[in-house]
Amino acid sequence: MPYFKTAQEWLDQSNLLLQARPATTRITTRYSIKPARTRKSKTVEESATDDAAATTTETKPPRGSLVIKTYDPESGVVLKYRTTKAAEVSRLFQSSLGRLGRGMAAMPEPPVEEAMPDAPPAGAAAEGASTPTGTAGQQQTGGGGGGKKKKKGKK
Amino acid sequence: MPSSKTHLSQTELEKLFSHRKGSDHGAIYLTQKRLTHSEDATLPSRDEEFPDLNLSEPVPILIRASNGKSARERGDKAKISTVVKPDDLDGFYVRYADICKAGMAALKPRDRSKKKAKAKKKKTGP
Repeated sequence: MPYFKTAQEWLDQSNLLLQARPATTRITTRYSIKPARTRKSKTVEESATDDAAATTTETKPPRGSLVIKTYDPESGVVLKYRTTKAAEVSRLFQSSLGRLGRGMAAMPEPPVEEAMPDAPPAGAAAEGASTPTGTAGQQQTGGGGGGKKKKKGKK
Repeated sequence: MPSSKTHLSQTELEKLFSHRKGSDHGAIYLTQKRLTHSEDATLPSRDEEFPDLNLSEPVPILIRASNGKSARERGDKAKISTVVKPDDLDGFYVRYADICKAGMAALKPRDRSKKKAKAKKKKTGP
């Protein structure tokens, strides 16, 4: 089954499926981690002189991905969406799954909130700062961290 | 009663995620569906072909979480579930999202790709 390109498309289609088959449709979210592939690219060789960068490429943190799937076993419909961005998690869970959950529970549809797109960046930024997997963050702050902070201050 | 159940599951869910934090592989499955009991489900009749579509009142939903281990690896298998009452949905999803956000630490943080692109530009530029 193909994946939808945008979360919104997935949400819309899932909503329709849920409206049609509220009793049997289920939504499964799979969060999986895979070890990062070690590969040699030009940038790796170029930055090999810089030992901080070299260690970054060697000890790449494992990659996580999130696949969200709406499935109705009676009709066999599968709707999927995949993301690797942490910034999308809070929006997917809180508004998308929450809204679909209301549909499942046969609750009346809540009023459409347009303010939601603003919410995830704040949450994601806070999360990025507090993530305990220090290996990636620490090494990266050596080079690009300063630049990033400056940018944020300007904005 | 339902709130205490949710709370129990909340810490359990955090535990489930914390097992994934250190490792470089593995998965966590979260599922949500309407809670129905086959016995008390109204059967379709001639007057009402789809009784599920017109419920008189909201029904609870069932949330399940597992680490995806099969029964063969019973020792490592972790499976939890909770029932969320319709009135608790909003509050539940706020907490649910928070836990999942905190637990899914291996996902890409927001600014990483941008930074990388910039670093590449800087390196290849001069």
